[in-house]
Amino acid sequence: MAEEANFKCLRCGQEFKLPYDPKAGPQERTCPKCRSNSVRRIKEQKK
Amino acid sequence: MKEDKLRIGVFVCECGLNIAGSLDCEEVKKYAETLEDVVVSVVNKYTCADPGQNEIKKYIKEHNLNRVVVASCTPLMHEPTFRTCVAEAGLNPYLFEMANIREHCSWVHLHDRKAATEKAKDIVKVAVAKARHLKPQIEAEVPVTNKVLVIGGGVAGIQAALDLADTGYQVYLVEKQPSIGGIMAQLDKTYPTMDCSI
Amino acid sequence: MMDVGRHPRIKLFVYSEVEDVSGYVGNFKVKVRKKARYVDENECNACAECAKICPVVVPDEFQMGFSSRKAIYIQLPQAVPSAYVLDMNACLGNNPIACGKCVEVCDKKCIDYDMQDQFIDLEVGAIIVASGMDVYDPTELDEFGYTRFDNVITSMEFERLICAGGPTTGHFIRLSDRETPKTIGFVQCVGSRSERRGNRYCSNICCMNTIKDTVLLKDHYPDIEVKVFYMDLRAFGKGFEDLLRRSRSEGVKYIRGIPGEIYEDSKTKNLILDVENTTTGEVEKHELDMLVLSVGVIPRQDGDLIQKLLTLSRTVDGFFMESHPKLKPVDAPTRGVFFAGCSESPKDVKDSVTQASASASRAGILLSSDRIKVEAITSVIDKDKCTSCGICYQACPFKAIVVDRKAKIPAEVIEAACAGCGTCGAECPFGAVTMKHFTDEQIFPQIDAILEENPQDKIVVFACNWCSYQGGDNAGMSRLQYPATGRIIRTMCSGRVDEQFILYAFSKGAPIVLVSGCHFADCHYIDANRWTQKRVEKLWDKLERKGIRPERLQLEWISAAEGQKFAKVMREIEEMRQKVTPEEIEHTKKVLSDWKPKGAKRRPKKAEVKIEA
Repeated sequence: MAEEANFKCLRCGQEFKLPYDPKAGPQERTCPKCRSNSVRRIKEQKK
Repeated sequence: MKEDKLRIGVFVCECGLNIAGSLDCEEVKKYAETLEDVVVSVVNKYTCADPGQNEIKKYIKEHNLNRVVVASCTPLMHEPTFRTCVAEAGLNPYLFEMANIREHCSWVHLHDRKAATEKAKDIVKVAVAKARHLKPQIEAEVPVTNKVLVIGGGVAGIQAALDLADTGYQVYLVEKQPSIGGIMAQLDKTYPTMDCSI
Repeated sequence: MMDVGRHPRIKLFVYSEVEDVSGYVGNFKVKVRKKARYVDENECNACAECAKICPVVVPDEFQMGFSSRKAIYIQLPQAVPSAYVLDMNACLGNNPIACGKCVEVCDKKCIDYDMQDQFIDLEVGAIIVASGMDVYDPTELDEFGYTRFDNVITSMEFERLICAGGPTTGHFIRLSDRETPKTIGFVQCVGSRSERRGNRYCSNICCMNTIKDTVLLKDHYPDIEVKVFYMDLRAFGKGFEDLLRRSRSEGVKYIRGIPGEIYEDSKTKNLILDVENTTTGEVEKHELDMLVLSVGVIPRQDGDLIQKLLTLSRTVDGFFMESHPKLKPVDAPTRGVFFAGCSESPKDVKDSVTQASASASRAGILLSSDRIKVEAITSVIDKDKCTSCGICYQACPFKAIVVDRKAKIPAEVIEAACAGCGTCGAECPFGAVTMKHFTDEQIFPQIDAILEENPQDKIVVFACNWCSYQGGDNAGMSRLQYPATGRIIRTMCSGRVDEQFILYAFSKGAPIVLVSGCHFADCHYIDANRWTQKRVEKLWDKLERKGIRPERLQLEWISAAEGQKFAKVMREIEEMRQKVTPEEIEHTKKVLSDWKPKGAKRRPKKAEVKIEA
């Protein structure tokens, strides 16, 4: 099973998990709630 | 050719009632006249039809236009038409710009004439802004080697190779296996007519 | 097949592979590796003496391993060219102990153990990709027992077993006892139309292939009992329904339901199927002598090299992507390359032949010209500004840029190969690339024109020529109503949408900017819109660092057919625009007030613009 990462929809604000492979190139992503493609990966907080 | 001054003509198409039905073409035309470097603006019933095209050619000559903007439908529809039109009047076809006030405006704002008219003005303004910076372009030409490579000697590759060879071109057919035939050669009969596959 | 071998204008390279392709439309240079066959294919007269004497016996791939061949063999009796080939991996050779029996018996002296691979350079104007398909291997679908049970075979194996030229000379038998089965079943959609295993798509040919198989069986063995287990029967083509009727009228039973589990009777080697008949809703048990898995079509597993060499793209299914699904179905996105057959999608013989002829005709249009015009909308590189960093080369989906990073030779565009997406222009950090007809000098004034008056009321939309712009057109044609606040700037590809255009728009008071393009599978420039995605992701981070809400930069993939989506997006974004406060816009303008266009290139102020022809 592929790794997952946290994503946030910049349209409706929904947060969700999607498969994520840092080595794979850019992916077309869709918000499961509003179907927008403005889907941003939430990076882990660096401290 | 050295051009010292921009002379832009804006042609606003009514498209029957397709555009004029939901926005004020006359107002768009008047607005266009106020834009920098626009020397003439005209409303046409159908810019793409012969009378409209003739008018473009006439104005290019009469007003010595060196840029043309047509505010009508999507460029996917009539950009080639108008490029040919301006070329016939002696202008480089790339000195033409289209403003889509139909698909992107009149048809999608059927019930708000004011907003649609305002948006159409902006669309024309954007097109004129681009038109002011248009440059003539020349489509380069390259020679063509009239031979063809077909990768794969299955039924599709065989058919393509035969068609092209029969047309008169030299064909190179490359097949990975020791014999051509592909998957089809492994089949017994083929549907729907149940004939033999080899 | 024979016609190809005889045609004076077809030069056949069998046992050969394309190794390298360079050049561009009208002027491709191709390197072909002709693998050593160890038999002179022109001299060999297929007398078969060599194979008779050859002591090495291996499974025959052509017969799906049901029979054997020798190390020196001919694929099928009707092979073109009609010549033997020596399988060096199986051959005993003459090392360390000489076998060499075949060499001794060959009267024509056409066997040569020392033959080497040859490389042939070709120059062609067009390329037709007819690289075909592979067949799904159902071993992973363990419940069907393929390879565990002798009498479960695939539809490809069926073809060989029923074929007069097959290992049994057409006597159809089951594998466990070599008896002709009295009852036989077919399971449809094996490896197709599945969310979990195999593939999601319909393989197009398997329903009809099975129907054909049932008719064949009934022709050969009128008393055989045939059952077909299916989920849907897709018999949509010309003459297809007639064949299905014929099959039914001959007594073939069609049962709607795919077996959940298959068992083998250890004594009789018969197969027992548990299947829910979805028509009656009842669970049924069927005992059969033999079972055929109607396996799907999959993309060529060795297609990566062709894809890379010809800069093709694939759909999510893995088949090659055409230039336009409806209007340019046989053109590849790379100009001068065309598709025929299953490399583009699963299809039957008729469709393959039809597409091949279409492809030949499309290629013919190109080949019939002595010279062709190439895209005027290409990029040009300013050698003075170029630092030979190579970023444009990396970004170019068409390999249309040459640059020597080591020797610091500035990048150069091969105009004929450039398709005009403009991604290089957007990616160049030094402003050294000019995208003809979509220059920075043309796009900045468009942004100005939008935002000069009442910027707070407007949404700046970048739309690509091929998909999202046409999605907007589609919304218009469908008269889908949406708010009148969007202002579109068209680029050929979303890959052209430079970061600086977006930042500039924000600095001029844009409340929201939308970048839109094709869905990944539809990109007209292979994968140029991947760069768009990357760029937007970076910009979200950048905006956030500057204290600007990343939400104000929106991204959307809209196909030319998605007018509905276009309208929906415009409605949603208008709602978002209304929530952007004047204070927020002022703050953004302030933050970006020191913003400058990239590189040394200074954006000319209005008053400075001079026109040169």
